[in-house]
Amino acid sequence: MNEFFVQNTEAIQKILSAYPAGNKRPAVMPLLYLAQRTNGFIQKKTLDEIAEILEITPTEVASIVGFYTLYHDEPGGRYHLQVCTDLPCALRGADRFLQDLCDNLGIKVGETTADGLITIEEVKCLAGCHHAPLFQVQGDGDISYHEDQTVDAAMQLIAELKKKAAEREGTNA
Amino acid sequence: MPKDITLTIDGQTVTAPAGTLVVDAAKRIGINIPVFCYHPKLEPVGMCRMCLVEIGRPVIDRTTNNPVFEADGKPKIQFGPKLETACTTPISEGMVVVGLSDKVKAARKDVLEFLLTSHPLDCPICDKGGECPLQNQTLEYGSADSRFLLDEKMRLSKHVPLGDLIFLDRERCIQCARCVRFQTEIVDDPVIGFYNRGRKLEIITDSQPGFDSIFSGNTTDICPVGALTTADFRFGARPWEMNNAASLCTHCPVGCNTTINVRREAKTGGNVSIKRIMPRQNETVNEIWMCDKGRFAYHFADSPDRLKNPLIRKGSELFQTTWTEALSAASEKIKQAGSGLVTLASGRLTNEDIYNLRKLTETQGGTFIGYSRMAGGEIVNRFGMLPGSNLGDLGKDSVIVVVSSDLHEEAPIWWLRVREAVKRGAVLISISIRPTRLDKIAAKTLRVEPGREALAVDAILTGDMADIVKQAKHLLVFYGSDGLGRKATGQLAAACARLLETSGHARRINSGLIPVWERGNTQGLWDMGAHPADQIVERIASARVLLVAGADPANDDPMMERALEKTEFLIVQDLFATATARKADIVFPVLAFTEREGTYTSGERRVQRFYPAVPAPEGLKADYEIAAEMGAELGLALESSAASLVFQQLAAEIPQYSGLTYPLLAKTSDQWPIVGRPDVYFGGTSYANRQGLGIHLPLLPLEDFEIPSGDLDMSLHPDAHELAVYPVTRLLDRGITVTTSPLLASRLAQADLFIHPATARKMFLNADMQVMLPVDGAAYPVRIVLDETVPEGAALIPRSAGVPIHEPQVAQVAPPVGDHASRVRS
Repeated sequence: MNEFFVQNTEAIQKILSAYPAGNKRPAVMPLLYLAQRTNGFIQKKTLDEIAEILEITPTEVASIVGFYTLYHDEPGGRYHLQVCTDLPCALRGADRFLQDLCDNLGIKVGETTADGLITIEEVKCLAGCHHAPLFQVQGDGDISYHEDQTVDAAMQLIAELKKKAAEREGTNA
Repeated sequence: MPKDITLTIDGQTVTAPAGTLVVDAAKRIGINIPVFCYHPKLEPVGMCRMCLVEIGRPVIDRTTNNPVFEADGKPKIQFGPKLETACTTPISEGMVVVGLSDKVKAARKDVLEFLLTSHPLDCPICDKGGECPLQNQTLEYGSADSRFLLDEKMRLSKHVPLGDLIFLDRERCIQCARCVRFQTEIVDDPVIGFYNRGRKLEIITDSQPGFDSIFSGNTTDICPVGALTTADFRFGARPWEMNNAASLCTHCPVGCNTTINVRREAKTGGNVSIKRIMPRQNETVNEIWMCDKGRFAYHFADSPDRLKNPLIRKGSELFQTTWTEALSAASEKIKQAGSGLVTLASGRLTNEDIYNLRKLTETQGGTFIGYSRMAGGEIVNRFGMLPGSNLGDLGKDSVIVVVSSDLHEEAPIWWLRVREAVKRGAVLISISIRPTRLDKIAAKTLRVEPGREALAVDAILTGDMADIVKQAKHLLVFYGSDGLGRKATGQLAAACARLLETSGHARRINSGLIPVWERGNTQGLWDMGAHPADQIVERIASARVLLVAGADPANDDPMMERALEKTEFLIVQDLFATATARKADIVFPVLAFTEREGTYTSGERRVQRFYPAVPAPEGLKADYEIAAEMGAELGLALESSAASLVFQQLAAEIPQYSGLTYPLLAKTSDQWPIVGRPDVYFGGTSYANRQGLGIHLPLLPLEDFEIPSGDLDMSLHPDAHELAVYPVTRLLDRGITVTTSPLLASRLAQADLFIHPATARKMFLNADMQVMLPVDGAAYPVRIVLDETVPEGAALIPRSAGVPIHEPQVAQVAPPVGDHASRVRS
């Protein structure tokens, strides 16, 4: 049984209706996005289910997940803080910034804080070289950009994210 | 035809059709522009940058639209600011390509330096070493040093099984995507892909089982490095240690040309052993591809279970004996039997074997029978393809009809080539009782009730495809035995011939009938005069001497098995102690196709020659030799010393083969794309075809031939409590030529009975239930598999998967009572 389809039938049919009948393949991007928003990351089972819905092979779906850094196929923190360290950003101190930020949080690149909230990632080009160091935060279905960063500013933002998460938990409880 | 374009490459002038890529135009005049990702059979992608060249184009005066000339009268050439990829740039008039400049040399050196930043340089232990484009091109164009830090090399897994058959070495991959593109573009199995990007890019498979494609072995041929290797050949030998012999694949009627690599080795006591089988280029047969069955299922030839000595029955036991004793005992019996001799010969044998067996039988006044479950050869010989036809020439203006054959399973390379034809614009009509992979590419899919296939073919010219079929320039018709018995395939062949005749396509180039025979040389069987016969069970039972070559009737049919008990004297020629051989009075052990030479005739009626790859083991003889030596004892002059001499005799006697000789069959001509030259343009592991392209047979004359007519409706009519059981063919069955290659074990067809869920409900059957299937007086355990694609009321069962069923039949399956694990005799 295709659990992903059963649980999201309406949303999936809406996405599929945006593409010509008989060519479901392009819907892979919004479906993956839907899966990630629902579960926080794309599970192997969901990946196979998406392949089944679109009548393509799981390998093709996995390739797409692998190509885009914004899709995650492993559980990470609730918020993914993604720092660009490509050459132009590095020239503006992005690599140093990333290192200091990690030291402050007591984790390594790619790791998640003990409370399961923040994952720090190193990514390629975020198209904002002139405002480096910069990063984007992905989580709760949103993406936000944060340019001209310092470690202090980033730590302040992280504190806000933690507060936001706690509040949401509170309302949910 | 596209217009011709003239350009200059490294000072040489070349003319090629518009649309040709610079890299191919250069190849035509012997200039090698190095490539990794480019492959002439795949769409160009320009990923590896190895083919960078300087390209200049004539300057055109925009006001007059005329070329601008230099002071010396030559056209003025404008070179681009950057180098361009020769593999993605089509040629244009007056173009000037420079591949020898310092700028180009520096670029190639840099590209190689980048490719090698993460390449392990483990050439001394790499299977590709010695035939590796990366190795060769690094020597020719690369630098001895790297400016990159050794410590920053990627360290990745080196033994990743992508499936049972293919291993990936992640460090060696240079990310050219040839394998991924082959799987997607050529065989439509996108089961391997790229994961991640940049330096982290890696090949993955997410299919179940891994790398689930019957063409997977081809990726190891076209891989330009040692990243993809087969589980069969991995760490098996160095390329330069091996000799090669031209051979043919014997598994199906396509007749793929192959190269067998062999080496003498200590492991097998200093004997020459087969290390791998690879495709050999024949652009009219298999191009440069082959399926995994052909590539991996050859171990029957080196199986330790092969028969090694003649055997003779003394009482209830078979004992080893000498050739002299066995031959004289056999010929004595044949002499006594006279016209009571019945010979069964199968399409596993070569033309030479079949010819000699026929001669032996006929001179005794015996009956010579072609052991085949398909009919229609006499029709194929008159309505087949004309010489000069090529599946590769079909495209727009062509209609291809495939009826009752799952080509993907039965003749994979024909499926691949039909798909290519459809990509070029051919219209495919797929007629079958169940969905197959052809449906996806078919313009029209006709789902017919089992037994009514021939009626569907007859109805084409009155249906909605009639105009398209009639107006098509070429009409090619494949017919097979999916769910059909022998008589029905004969009716089907006749219906297909009528279609060709009525639509006006009969006996025209690139049109005709192609039978999807069950064996590699079933066509040769027909050509040599061995036709299937009716009442075969009675003939077996009443034979005074039954000579069986290359067939195992005892295993194929319980009725034949029982009939063999009644046969007065049974002589068997085989590789193995088959069920039939175990019942024999005399058994002759024969040479495998790898140990001898001979010819096979493909379903397209191309006669092709194969060569010995390993020396003939002591004490074994070829089938034609055995027939000739038995004949010699009877005073017959049959050739036993060489297959080529037998071929001379048969060519003198059989009109279609008239004029053919072994040297003619060994002729080759230029083929495109060019493969197998020392520059390994195409890839490391394909040998150029220097041993023969084969010869397409002419058609037999039509005079005095009438297409047989008869009842076209072959439907079965089961009662409410019965099932109509239809046998279908799977690529990997449980025949001895497949089970002897353990690598394929996990993918073999099972003794499963496929039925529609609605049928299951009616018959009180459930998924995975074990039931007994009665076949001709015996019963066999089968597992029920529910499948919505099976027609209601019908059941499908794979042939040669444990249940000896070859003809459709009505059966009452019984839920198990007591111990159902063993076969129960009724």
